[in-house]
Formats: sequence, C-alpha cells, structure tokens
Amino acid sequence: MDPSFTSLIGVALSIGVPIISAAITIIICGTAMAGVGTEKPELLSRLIITVVLGEALAIYGLLIAFMLLSKLSIITTIETANKALISGVVIAVSTASAGAGISYCGTSLIGATAEKPETFSSNVIGVVLSEALAIYGLLIAFMLIGQI
Amino acid sequence: MAEMRKLKVIVFEDYVDAIVRSLGEAGITQLIDMREKVDEWKGVLLPYTVSAETLTKCSDITTKIGESLKTLGLKPEDLPLTEAPSTTGSTKELLAQVEQKLADLPVDTLRKCSEISARISQLIDPLQLKPDEVAVEELPPEKPVEEALAQLEQKIREIPIETAVRLSEVTARIDQLVDALHVKPEEVTIEKVVLDKPIGEALTEIEQNLTQIEKQVATVGLTDRALLVDKIGDLSLDEKSELGKMLSELRHFVLETRRMFGARLLGLRNFVADRRIALGKELLTLGRVVETVRQATEAETKVGEVREDLLTLQKVVEREKQVTQAEEKLARTSKTVYFEAWVPEAYTNEATERVKKASNGNCLVSDEPPTHEEKAPVILKPVPQYLSAFEKLVYAFGYPSAGDINPVPILALTFPILFGLMFADVGQGALFVLIGVVLTFLKRRIRTEKMGDVVRYLLVSSEMFMFLGVSAIFFGFIFGEFFGPSGILHPISLGRVGPFYIGGFEPTQEPMKMLKLAVFVGTIHIGLGLVLRFLNETRRKHYKLVPVPLCWMWLLFGGLFMWAYWGGISNISRWFAEGVFMLAGLVVLPLVLIIGVTSLAEGFMEGLGFGVEVFAETLSHTMSYSRLMALGLVHSAMNYLFLVLGGVEHGHFPLESIPMIAVGTILVMIIEGLVVFVHTLRLHWVEWFSKFHTGEGIAFKPFKFT
Repeated sequence: MDPSFTSLIGVALSIGVPIISAAITIIICGTAMAGVGTEKPELLSRLIITVVLGEALAIYGLLIAFMLLSKLSIITTIETANKALISGVVIAVSTASAGAGISYCGTSLIGATAEKPETFSSNVIGVVLSEALAIYGLLIAFMLIGQI
Repeated sequence: MAEMRKLKVIVFEDYVDAIVRSLGEAGITQLIDMREKVDEWKGVLLPYTVSAETLTKCSDITTKIGESLKTLGLKPEDLPLTEAPSTTGSTKELLAQVEQKLADLPVDTLRKCSEISARISQLIDPLQLKPDEVAVEELPPEKPVEEALAQLEQKIREIPIETAVRLSEVTARIDQLVDALHVKPEEVTIEKVVLDKPIGEALTEIEQNLTQIEKQVATVGLTDRALLVDKIGDLSLDEKSELGKMLSELRHFVLETRRMFGARLLGLRNFVADRRIALGKELLTLGRVVETVRQATEAETKVGEVREDLLTLQKVVEREKQVTQAEEKLARTSKTVYFEAWVPEAYTNEATERVKKASNGNCLVSDEPPTHEEKAPVILKPVPQYLSAFEKLVYAFGYPSAGDINPVPILALTFPILFGLMFADVGQGALFVLIGVVLTFLKRRIRTEKMGDVVRYLLVSSEMFMFLGVSAIFFGFIFGEFFGPSGILHPISLGRVGPFYIGGFEPTQEPMKMLKLAVFVGTIHIGLGLVLRFLNETRRKHYKLVPVPLCWMWLLFGGLFMWAYWGGISNISRWFAEGVFMLAGLVVLPLVLIIGVTSLAEGFMEGLGFGVEVFAETLSHTMSYSRLMALGLVHSAMNYLFLVLGGVEHGHFPLESIPMIAVGTILVMIIEGLVVFVHTLRLHWVEWFSKFHTGEGIAFKPFKFT
C-alpha cells in the first residue's frame, strides 16, 4: 500500500477511535451524574472526575494524531508508514479499552457514591486505573512515532 | 492534635433533655450513635425512641411564630440577635410554656389593625384627596379594643370598593363635559342638586343624567356650535343684516343651552365633590381610630418586647427540636438512659460537670480513652484561609486519620507545580493570576452564600487561581511559552540532573526530554509521599513497618537510576547482563527487604502480596506521571493551532491575530484548564495519597446548636 495512505489511516484511527471512546464514556457517565445530581448535587464536584477522565481519552488521541501529522512529510518508506499505522492502532485500542473501563467503573462509582459518599476514595481507583490503560498505550504509540 | 476521650453516661430519663441541652450549649461533645451499638449489648439496651409528637409540636410552633412575625411585618434577619435564655426542665414542659406565652401575645389584634389599615388605604387612594380638603373630625369616644375593632370592620365592609373608583370616574366625566361646553362658572347660576339616597344609587342616577347630557350635546352638535359662537362673539356684527340676525339668534340659543347644561353639570360636580370629601373624611377618621387602637395595644403590651419575645421563643423551640433530634442517638434501659460521646481531653472535666449539674447529680459519668478497634474523631489545626480550596480537595478524598500529618500545606505546594508543568504558559498564567486577584477582591465584597454553585466554587478557589497562575508563569518561562510556542520567549534551563533536563527546551520540539522530565518529577513526587509515609508510621508508632517506606524509596530511586544509567527501557536486556549486580542491589534487594519486613509484622502471605503490590505500583504510578508530558504537549499544541490560525510567526503578533488568539485562549483556559486540573487532582488522589494518606479519619463534629 502507498506509504502516505497507510500513515493517513494511522492518523484517522488515532483521532477517530479515541473520540468515539470518549463520547461513549461521557454519554454513559454524564447521564449517570445527572441522575445523582438531582438527589445529591453536592457530590457532583467530586463525580465530575469520571467525565473529565473520559474526555482526556480524546486528548490522547489528538496528541498522537497531531504528532503523526507533523511527521507525514518524512514518511516515505513502507516501514515508517507501518509504524505510523500501528501507533494509531495502539492508541485506538488502548483508549477504547480505557473508555470501557471508565464507563463501567464510573457509573458504578457514581451510584455507590450517591448511596455511601465515604466509599468514593476506594471506588475511584477503578476509574483511574482504567484511565491509566490509555496512558500505557499513549507511551508506546509515542515511542513508535519517535522512531519514525 | 488533641486526644479524644470517650464519655459514658447513665442518667434517669427525666434529666435527659436538660443534659443534652447543656451539652449542645457547650458544643464540645460528639454524641455516638448508640443505635448501631445496641446489638452488642445483647438486649440490655434498647434504642431510645423520641416521641414524634414533640417534633411535630416544634414544627407547629415554629410555623406559628413565623406567621406572627410576618403579620407584624418583621423580618427575623433585621432584628438584633438575642441569645436564647438558658432553660431547664424537660422539652415537653418547655414547649407547653412557649405555647402559653404565644397565646398571651396580642398578635391577633395587631393583625386585624393592619388588615383594616390596608383596606382603608385601598379605598382612599382612588379618591385623590388633597390634604387641605379634608380636616379630620373629632374622634368618637374610646371603647374597649375588641369592640372598637369589630365596629370598624363592620363599617369598612359597608363601603364597597367600587364607590371610591366610581366617584372619581364621575368627576372626570363631568370635568370633560364642562371643558367641552366651555362653561364659564361666572356665567351660570349653579343648580343645587339634592339626592337623598345612599351613595351607590345617587351615583347611578348621576351617571344616567350625564349620559343624557352627553347624548343631547352630541345630537345638537353643541360643542362645535359653541366654538363657532365663541368665534362669532369676537366679530362685531351688524344686527340689521339678515345674516347678522340669524347669527345672533344662534348665539343666543347656544348660550342659553350652554347655561342650562352648565348649571346642571356644575351642580352635579359640587354634589359629587361633597360626597367625595365626606367619604374621605369618614375613611380618614376610621384610619385614625385604627391607629389609636393599634397604639393602645402596642403601648399596653410593648410590641418591641413582643418582637424580641417571639424571636426568643423561636430560638427556644428551635433548640428543643435539635435536642430531640440528637436524642435519637441515645439508648435506654427500662428506667435510665445510656449514651456515649466523644470529647476532647481538655474538655472532659467541663463536659462531666455539665452532665452532673444538669441532672442534679443523678447520674453516673465516666470517661476512657478510645480502644484500638474504635476510630475516635480527629480535630485538625485549622489551615490558613488562603489554603481553603486545597483543604477542600484533600477532604473530598478523605479526612486524615488521628496522628497523621495533614497533607493540605504540602499539597498546596505540589499541586500548583504539577498543574504548571502541564499548563506552562506565561500569558495564560498571568490571566489566571488576574482572575484570582479579581475573585479575591469580589469575595470580600459580596456574600458568597447568596451566589450560585459555580460562582461560589470560583470564589472559594480564588487564591488557588493565583497559586496555579504563578506556577504556570514560572513553567512558561522554563519552556518558553507565551500564549503557546509563539517564539517570543526562549526556554530557560534550570539545569540538568543526569539525562533529565529541567527546562531549556520546547516540549513540542523535544518531546522525549519532556517525557523524561515528567517521569523525574513523578519520581520525586512519589518519593515525597514515601517520606510522609515514613513520618506517619513513626507518629503512629508502627515501628515494625517504619523500614517499608525507606526500602520503597530505595527501590523507586534505584529503579530510576537504572533506567537513566542504561539509557531507557529499550536496553532492558543489558540490565540483566552487565547490570545484573546493580539490578540486584537497587531493585531486588529492597523488594526482598519490603517483603521480609511486612512478613515479620503481618505474616508471610500479606508480606508477599504487599511486595507484588509495591513492585506494580512503583512501575505503574511512575508511568502514570507521563501524563504530565502528554497534557503539556496537548496544551502547547492547541495553543499552537490558534497561533497558526491567527497568523503569528516568529514572535511577531500582527494586530488581526488578536481576536483569534483571544478565542483560542478562552477555549484553552476553560477546557484544558479543567482537564489539567482534574489530572493534577487525580495524580494527587491516586498516585500520591496511596503512599501515605488513607483518608479514613472522621472529622470531629461536636453537637452544637445552630
């Protein structure tokens, strides 16, 4: 395949999939938050972490897409194009997984906090560890781009 | 940090209310909820049931007092705060006394007075009387208040509200006609109108009269002719000519009719005016009577005192309600009541004395330190007001346990640093400082409790904005960013630690240096957390576990050293070849020590589990700090985007780029600001607090009347 086309697919994957993951995460956690907010609005300032961490997934995708874009001009060989494509795939898969984790743990965290606010500090671990998954993917994608 | 004691009290049921009230006045004890503990006593204790009747009565009386205050036109917040008098006796007795006092207050009379006054002014307004038109007559002889009021009400009810309005309407109509006909009062002999009827009927007749006149005036076209005639009057006409004769006849006719109507109209007007003044006089007299009644009542009962009495009563009832609610936490035997409460050691004697005094010595009080299984509430030294936003961030995660270091002041230092690394920008940092200054200024001017949620959050965190802004400015200089990598500033290097460059590069140009810096900062941050863990373990006197944080630091910094020494993770094969001894000394040995020490303290399996946890956490938490790089790069990249769109090149800001940069700055500051803030918070809550701050403490919230 044409190297420039391959790398463009990488760019598309790296921005598209994280944005979809972020959107799904925000949709799921945001609606749950709205529900809790009607009963206990004072918890919202703490629970906002779920939505913002979901949003961060899109930012990681944006970063990788941005870096790939800046390298597009020097991608001429199939090898470098593959690296660009795979870095897109890596960030796509890792943000999708992180999104799934944040959505599930986030909604449970929101529900549990509404019932027992003191459990927040333990339950938030699930959400932030899920989000850390995206960071691992980001690091690897970042290093792959560094080799281009 | 004050030590806590647990107060245990047994007392006869009759004295419970007085004791709880006395403790509530002092505000030094936190009642322990006995309902959760009743099971432990295996049937000896039962939950103390509070009568729902008392609570309902409290609400009833509060509502009643509120209504009375409203009737008297008083707002509780306008009145001086009075201390509720200290009371004795049971809640039931107190409430009965309050009800009695309330019944004695002449609230009803005063309410009636204001009702009548309102009605009078409603009637008097449409009459549009001038003060000199009506002189108030003498007042009728005084009667007993109730009788006078009843009479007044009767009289007032007899006057329908339309009368006043109709009177003014009729006056207006007459005036209109008089104007239209050009009636001159000196030309006519005013007719005397006598209508010996009730005012309502008289008005109806007058209205019919007026309608007739209006009709006639319209059919003869009198108004037009009148104008014409007035004009003719100005001409000197020859009587002999034909036209002259006709005209003078016409003039004669018009003047005659006008005189006739004028006489009638003016007569009516006088009649209506008389009636209007009569009604006004009557109403004003009634008003005076009401005023006298009110003054008499007020003088008799001293309304000033009534008001204060009402407030005091309200306070008393409010307090009794809180007492009753607090009593839900108590437990009982068949005759006595038992409860436990936390009290700071310094106040133990005072609390004991209060219990004894309130129960006249009919009680058993003892105090003891908390047992190991129990979690006593914690009192922390208050932090300075400008750190209150950081305090909220820490306590939202959890309250420090007893004896632990309060992380608020340290967090106030590290939080801005991590934020600034990600949000490095001189321009936007300065804007943050500016926002902080403005918010701090506003906070002193406006009452925060009246503001909406978002505004209140902003006001509370006004000082935090300044902290974050200063840090962002600092790192903006380090990385050479002014509204993005605009080229105006050049990165300033603070030095170099091994392969870690502290500043002196542009993150977007050299992301690997930024990544290394992020990991370096993360390691130091985690190391600081471990130092605090060491201090906490020492303060808790867990001497067996004190070596753990030390070994952990050894592992952490050893790992970092290896990473740096062997040139990153890509050369990991060399760690196990040439570097195997270093690996053993810097990574394996501390890990084994951690497992060993924890095993000795808590058992082998726990030790092994903890060892694995330490290894995994060290890796994953350090890596998690690479988000400092990621978000920092995204921040510059987003700013760069708007710089390109605005057409900024090599530090040259053309004038037309300013709107685009302004839009970009607003977007970046809101979206990026929020994301970076939450990530900074997350790094503190998860990666940092997990090292030393369990957040399992309970705040000491003494039972106190509000």
